[in-house]
Amino acid sequence: MSFPNPPKAIKLVLLGEAAVGKSSLVLRFVSNDFQENKEPTIGAAFLTQKCTIGDKTIKYEIWDTAGQERFASLAPMYYRNAQAALVVYDITKPASFLKARHWVKELHEQASKDIIIALVGNKYDLVEDSNDELRKVSVEEGKKLAEEEDLLFFETSAKTSFNVNEVFIGIGSKIPDNSPVTETRPENGARIDLSSQPAQKSNSSCC
Amino acid sequence: MSSFHRAERRKSVAERSPSVSYAPDTIPQLAGLEKPQEHNLHIGECDVLVMGTGLVESVVAAALSWQGVDVLHIDNKTCYGDSNSTLTIEQVKSWCQEVNSGRIQHFEDAQVYVTGDIYHPQSKFKSKDYGIDLTPKIMFAQSDLLSLLVKSRVYKYLEFQSLSNFHIFENDSFSTKFANASSKEEIFTDQSLSLLTKRYLMKFLKFVLEDNNDEDKRKTLADNAKVTIYDFLSQKFNLETSQINELIYSIGLCIKPTTKTPEAIARIRRFLVSFNVYGNFPVLVSKYGGPGEISQGFCRSAAVAGTTYKLNTALTDYDPQLKLAKFSDKSSIKINEKLIVAPTQIPKFLQSSYNEITESLKKVNISRLVVIVKKDCKEWMADQECSAMVVFPPESLNSQNKTSIQALIQNGGTGVCPPGQSIWYLTSFEQDSIKAKQDLQCAFEKMESSILRESSDLDDVLDENLSVNKSGTSLVVNSVKLGKSLQNFVPKETLEIICKFGFTQKTYVLNDLSNVINPTDENNVSLRKTKDCEDIIFTNMPSSEISYDGIVKECKTIYQAITGSDDDFFDVDFEDDDEFNPAGFHQQPTTSSSNLKTSDNDMAIASSDDEDNAHPFGADEMEL
Repeated sequence: MSFPNPPKAIKLVLLGEAAVGKSSLVLRFVSNDFQENKEPTIGAAFLTQKCTIGDKTIKYEIWDTAGQERFASLAPMYYRNAQAALVVYDITKPASFLKARHWVKELHEQASKDIIIALVGNKYDLVEDSNDELRKVSVEEGKKLAEEEDLLFFETSAKTSFNVNEVFIGIGSKIPDNSPVTETRPENGARIDLSSQPAQKSNSSCC
Repeated sequence: MSSFHRAERRKSVAERSPSVSYAPDTIPQLAGLEKPQEHNLHIGECDVLVMGTGLVESVVAAALSWQGVDVLHIDNKTCYGDSNSTLTIEQVKSWCQEVNSGRIQHFEDAQVYVTGDIYHPQSKFKSKDYGIDLTPKIMFAQSDLLSLLVKSRVYKYLEFQSLSNFHIFENDSFSTKFANASSKEEIFTDQSLSLLTKRYLMKFLKFVLEDNNDEDKRKTLADNAKVTIYDFLSQKFNLETSQINELIYSIGLCIKPTTKTPEAIARIRRFLVSFNVYGNFPVLVSKYGGPGEISQGFCRSAAVAGTTYKLNTALTDYDPQLKLAKFSDKSSIKINEKLIVAPTQIPKFLQSSYNEITESLKKVNISRLVVIVKKDCKEWMADQECSAMVVFPPESLNSQNKTSIQALIQNGGTGVCPPGQSIWYLTSFEQDSIKAKQDLQCAFEKMESSILRESSDLDDVLDENLSVNKSGTSLVVNSVKLGKSLQNFVPKETLEIICKFGFTQKTYVLNDLSNVINPTDENNVSLRKTKDCEDIIFTNMPSSEISYDGIVKECKTIYQAITGSDDDFFDVDFEDDDEFNPAGFHQQPTTSSSNLKTSDNDMAIASSDDEDNAHPFGADEMEL
């Protein structure tokens, strides 16, 4: 199958303490564009969303933790070949920021070395109206961690959609153009496309 | 035993959240909807507790979850996969310690040797660059598990590669006459064969591929139900030993000369019908690991459907009256229906029940030797491939092996080890474990000298062949080199070994899978009744089978024991979410649930005597 410009598929994984809004961030990002079209399928292996940045199109394959992180039981499969990660915390919950440090460390250990990580402080809507007493993690703290660990940094609100698209565009523009996604390099063994129609069974009807 | 019927369960995932109308205008405030992260389980109850994240248990957890069963899935180890794990070198080392201290039942005599290399701080490769399967497996392109992977969408989490080369060792050399052909028609057109032999082979091929409902075929198989495949091939088709060996042990992957005709024919057929399903190869392997990787995929699918996961947690007590389970993290949870317990996860208080259940069953030993070598072993693999099979038929080794040795070789291209290295998985089916070790060592030495010879005169051979054949596929090169006898070969170098690892595994699944394919409350662990507690269902240890055959059937047996029927086993109809697929490409190939029903429709041989259920590969068609 050949397409004029097949979008580059990027595996993006979500990490962060429960209830910081990981799923809602993704839902915001994915459903904004999907609303009048098709909805994310229940049972989809992962959510997908296209994102156009300049002249390149990226197709994000977004892996939610599906709750498997609740008791720290993410499988190696989750991190494998992930090219991007969102580490999400809640700016009104200091514990979630501590947990974010943990996940960044986990990514450095488990994921590929050149993974692009965005640190995302979510629930900006709660502190928006100069309602600062709810904020428990300062912008500076977030920025500092991001600088130390070489991460992208955003504060977002999945509720109001503030800065959400920017996260994905920011990651997308850092993805190198020539990253070998699922190319079939000879020395690497060709990948078999199981989504394609297998040849009709030659059911031996040789009469 | 009461069943957890459709009507008693909550609605399936698909019913609860129909895939169409899912478009919230505003994102709800999610705080408080997700439970805060806890270190102990704070759920009050679940329908089914699954213990052990092996392949069968994981498929069952996913199947139940998607049909509305509330599942809690735990494992007493810190990684996924249980007996099917894909382990790093470090994990292998601690696994061996656990086995030898008796903490992992059904495994014994684990030995591991690791060179200091990977511990050196400057070392390029670390323990985690390796993924070593405890139960290496290959997948036929036409098989029920592959259909299930597609239907369940779990294949999307995985990558598959092809495996074409099946080498057979005979007369002290390796050959690949039939099995690296690119189509089933080509298999029997080897030019070195006489016209007469070719005719017999074609006749045999036609017989194997004949519809299983064909009267003549049924009758022939029934008439030969007790005849060994060797006798059948030599008497009915006048084939000679070398062709027979390749048909039985390489293409059929049978393990002993006494394999009966119906089983062997079904095995040979399995290979042949798998050609040209996804391409010109019969077999696939999953990247980064076999069953361990596929287990993880099903666990993720189960999690998406709502299963709760917690590793490093064991059941410590269960009160059948209150149906209350207590765990090693001090939590206790009410189990509304059943407990599924893998044989490696049995808590002390269930041990006597399990012993009672297994008392009268035949125990089968599987011995493995896993060697990681510093060679990519390309010489054994087809062009563009990273895996190969090598089979040693019975009596082919100096150790006078009584059963065959099957070896799966995978190099760095499969993601299980760094580039330039490969993992050799050798399996022996010899029941005497001392003899099994000798056989394995003997086979390993043959492989070692073979790969040393091939790589030592590689340049000569390459020059010779490439000059003749500019487009020179390595297949041509392979067959020339592999034909050479090892008899007079003295290696100039030694093979550098990174890790050597061996163990013996026990299972109550018979080698011919008969008690999985036709399970009864007499022959199968999962259907045997426990006296003390009827809520417990034990699963089986992995079988000795190198393919994934039998797995789906095992899962359905357990599923049915819980829900009363396997009619809605993975009865899911996912909308296709990939908008980039061109029209006509966008539905999964083998959809309807009837395709997943295998062995119920007894297709093949109606065995005349009822007690003779021992030939599953013939008695029931494995393919879908």
